[in-house]
Amino acid sequence: MACTVLAAPAQAAAAAALQVTVTGADGKPVEGAVVIAEPVGGAAHPAVNAKAVMDQRNLMFVPDVLVVQTGTAVDFPNSDQVRHQVYSFSSAKPFQLALYAGRAHAPVVFDHAGLVTLGCNIHDSMVGYIWVTDSPWFGRTSANGTLQLRDLAPGEYTVRIWHARLAETGPQLQARLHVEEGSAATANFRLQHALKAELMHHGADKKWADY
Amino acid sequence: MGRLLATFGAATALLLARAAGAATDFDWSVDLRAVSSDGTESRLDGGLGKLRYDSAHDGLRLGEARAGLRTDLTETMRLNAEAVAYGDHDVNAVDLTEFYVDWRPIPHSIWRSRVKLGAFYPEISLENRLRGWGSPYTLTYSAINTWIGEELRTIGTEYSLDWLGRSNGHSFDVSFNAAAFGWNDPAGTVLASRGWGLTDRQSTLFGRFANGGHPYPERTVFYDDMDKRAGYHAGISANYRGLLEFHALHYDNRANLAPYSARINDSTWETYFDSLGVRYTPTAGLTLISQWLHGRTFAGLGPPINAWSFDSEFLLASWLHGSMRYSARYDRFASQQTASSFLAYVDNTYFGDRGHAWTLSAEHRFNEHWDMTLEALEVQSWVAQRGIDSEYGGLDIPLDQRERQYQLALRYQH
Repeated sequence: MACTVLAAPAQAAAAAALQVTVTGADGKPVEGAVVIAEPVGGAAHPAVNAKAVMDQRNLMFVPDVLVVQTGTAVDFPNSDQVRHQVYSFSSAKPFQLALYAGRAHAPVVFDHAGLVTLGCNIHDSMVGYIWVTDSPWFGRTSANGTLQLRDLAPGEYTVRIWHARLAETGPQLQARLHVEEGSAATANFRLQHALKAELMHHGADKKWADY
Repeated sequence: MGRLLATFGAATALLLARAAGAATDFDWSVDLRAVSSDGTESRLDGGLGKLRYDSAHDGLRLGEARAGLRTDLTETMRLNAEAVAYGDHDVNAVDLTEFYVDWRPIPHSIWRSRVKLGAFYPEISLENRLRGWGSPYTLTYSAINTWIGEELRTIGTEYSLDWLGRSNGHSFDVSFNAAAFGWNDPAGTVLASRGWGLTDRQSTLFGRFANGGHPYPERTVFYDDMDKRAGYHAGISANYRGLLEFHALHYDNRANLAPYSARINDSTWETYFDSLGVRYTPTAGLTLISQWLHGRTFAGLGPPINAWSFDSEFLLASWLHGSMRYSARYDRFASQQTASSFLAYVDNTYFGDRGHAWTLSAEHRFNEHWDMTLEALEVQSWVAQRGIDSEYGGLDIPLDQRERQYQLALRYQH
């Protein structure tokens, strides 16, 4: 998807922090956008002993999108009454968890950067995403469309924006900016395309049977 | 025989599950009804009424008691069994509605194959999506899905090829399926003799009861194979973000009309149809479903060969709000006999029906086990064979009937 930055990132002064704002094509704040600030030419920083959880509740992955640093061990508990069979065939982390309920499997370590799309082989309607990044500076925008990244090392950054409802695979918006020591940079992104419709979930209320 | 087979099937399923020490999902439910109906005699008692309960069979009833078993034979292969009891006069008090093994390998690419082997429902209904092929929307199924529950079962094998776009960054999935089956040679009998109906009474794999086709009060076996010729169905479905789901299927039992079966006291019926279905979920909680089905059925050795055409469609809207679900459905249906070899025996009547129905329901869910549903159904229909004179074995009642049925169901599921 060819999106570009309409409002170029502005730069300002103060401590090494970066505030990112994402607005939609309609001008409204966009919640849940993945923001990753990658140091240009920087070495990878695998996380040490980092842990995260991707739960399964009411036939949904919770959260729908998880962002983790390379090396993070992600636990996949199943909080539903029915069993799930989680898989990914994404190149960043192909894996599968044999049919299970509760906490039957050891956490999965995500050791390569990239987007991992999750599915459940029993419930085809379940879709989840794990963004794996080498950078320690990442997050998702809040309801007002903003995300504050702190303690950035001074230098050049590529800021990448991705949203599940713009779909497809790679980052859809990116911009380069310079973060100076003792400054507070801001970057404003405006999506060029409207977000796709929200995923609709069926059957969380009853014993649903997929064909 | 049927009872033995059903018992054997259920016992085998349980034994296999135990023996393998396999993970097993077992669930069951019981649904009790208070029914008020002014309907004419139901098909279950050999009549031409459109409803499950007629005015002689209302009051306190067992809606259904069912149990479902899914057990892992291997990591990717499961045995599925559904048993049901309806508390009516079927020859088997408890019987199976589905019994099959499905193989569903874990995807390693965007393409995944699936195979089913056994007795199961073809992928037609967008309404019957609960375990046991129940509907989450109304107690009574649409006319189309009533018929599918009454007369169709794929007894054979089905292959599906799925394109899992949503697991690979796209917004939709697509699935192609094709099945070869036997034991569906009598399909079309009920539709031709009674016309369309609106019930939630699925036929069981080994069950039998009186045929609604006055003046043919023989008992009907639903699933039998007389011609040793496989039928097929082939379909395609697509799903866009869970928002829009589409199904299309062509069915043909490819029955050879020559064989006659003393067991079902009838010859084979050749039946084919096309079906389309769409489910649209514009906002969370609101579901719109529409299905359309059009086909033909043929029977007899001729000339002339008996022929009928049939078609129906419905539109269902359902709104889930907190612990309440409100649903409304409009059905329209028609069947028409176009050639007859037995006119002289049925008062010169070509069989056929046409009509429409409104179904309104409200369900309250108390907790994960208990729920209660109130449903009102009115069906207005014209049925040609209602007018057959009693000297020909007919009912000789007015062709036009308005039938109403009110049900209050209390359901426990575990």
